[in-house]
Amino acid sequence: MKRNKFIVIGSGRLGSNIATQMSELGEDVIIIDATDDSFRKLQESFSGYQVVGDATDLSVLENSYIKHAKTVVITTDSDNVNIYLAHVCYYIYNVPTIFVRLADTDKGSLLEGTYIKAIYPFTLSLQEFMTMYKQEDNK
Amino acid sequence: MKIVITGGKHEADFIVKMLKEERHQLIVINQDTEFAEYISTNNDISVFPGDPTKAYVLSDAEADNADVLLALSDSDTDNYIICLTAKKEFNIKRTVSKVKNPKNVELFKKLGVDSVISSTYLLAQTILNESSVENIIKTLSIEDEKIVMVEMGVEASYALVDKKIMDINFPKNINISCIFRDPHVIIPKGDTIIKADDKLIIISTPTEQEEIIEFVKKKR
Repeated sequence: MKRNKFIVIGSGRLGSNIATQMSELGEDVIIIDATDDSFRKLQESFSGYQVVGDATDLSVLENSYIKHAKTVVITTDSDNVNIYLAHVCYYIYNVPTIFVRLADTDKGSLLEGTYIKAIYPFTLSLQEFMTMYKQEDNK
Repeated sequence: MKIVITGGKHEADFIVKMLKEERHQLIVINQDTEFAEYISTNNDISVFPGDPTKAYVLSDAEADNADVLLALSDSDTDNYIICLTAKKEFNIKRTVSKVKNPKNVELFKKLGVDSVISSTYLLAQTILNESSVENIIKTLSIEDEKIVMVEMGVEASYALVDKKIMDINFPKNINISCIFRDPHVIIPKGDTIIKADDKLIIISTPTEQEEIIEFVKKKR
């Protein structure tokens, strides 16, 4: 079984832009979202596949070639759904690389003991603020 | 036992009432503030309003080291997160989750939830049992379907009627655990005679279930 798909779940601002950029880099991208409307955020240069469906339904994941995924990026707007999907990708489909976006930093502990990588917009914003603040302060 | 009950509407209310009578230590958490209050006044018990998928809510409710946690919310993913948090961070021994999607029963078990209940799945089983045209064959599975209990009505035409159990050449691994002969309940021994209109309660493994049903139904 060849693992060559790059799957993005959740076509919000982050998901759709990751999908577009990875598609530009030549990856075989599949993006999943529950509503058709969300794909409007994809840029014109996106040349992958769009799947409309609820990713928490395993048949939707399987139709999106989850078994052939080398990377999954999970960016739906619910932390609970994101962690659940990350676990399904990890324990059921053994996807080798998994990224998940989480709003609540406390929930990161649920991913301990796995290789799932979490991205926290909160932490990134805080760091950015501190950097910018120090720059202003030095003026 | 220390039992944590999270989410759910009337099923939560019902379970609280039932468990309270058995004098368990109950911790009830409900996200719906209005319903939390309803359960609270209805059962004279304190209910924590809050989102049980958040670790601090379980912590505030002192759910740690509980024996059992029930996740009854309407969202399957939320129930999974609650069970996961309970196991990973609160050392809760056993987790039980309700699921809406019957396909999640197997999946949740693989992901480490101890016990998964789907009302759709149970309903389907009940409908199958109740609509059976055969003389009442009801089955109930125990221990994750490793053991099944079959309830069979005996018709007068069956070959085993008026025979002693020890004289019947039963297939292997069959155990008639109980005979219901209205109004008596008989725990059968070798010399117990099976009568028409008896109800046999038989314990077996799922693989032998078919064979046993066929055997009992054999006509004279």
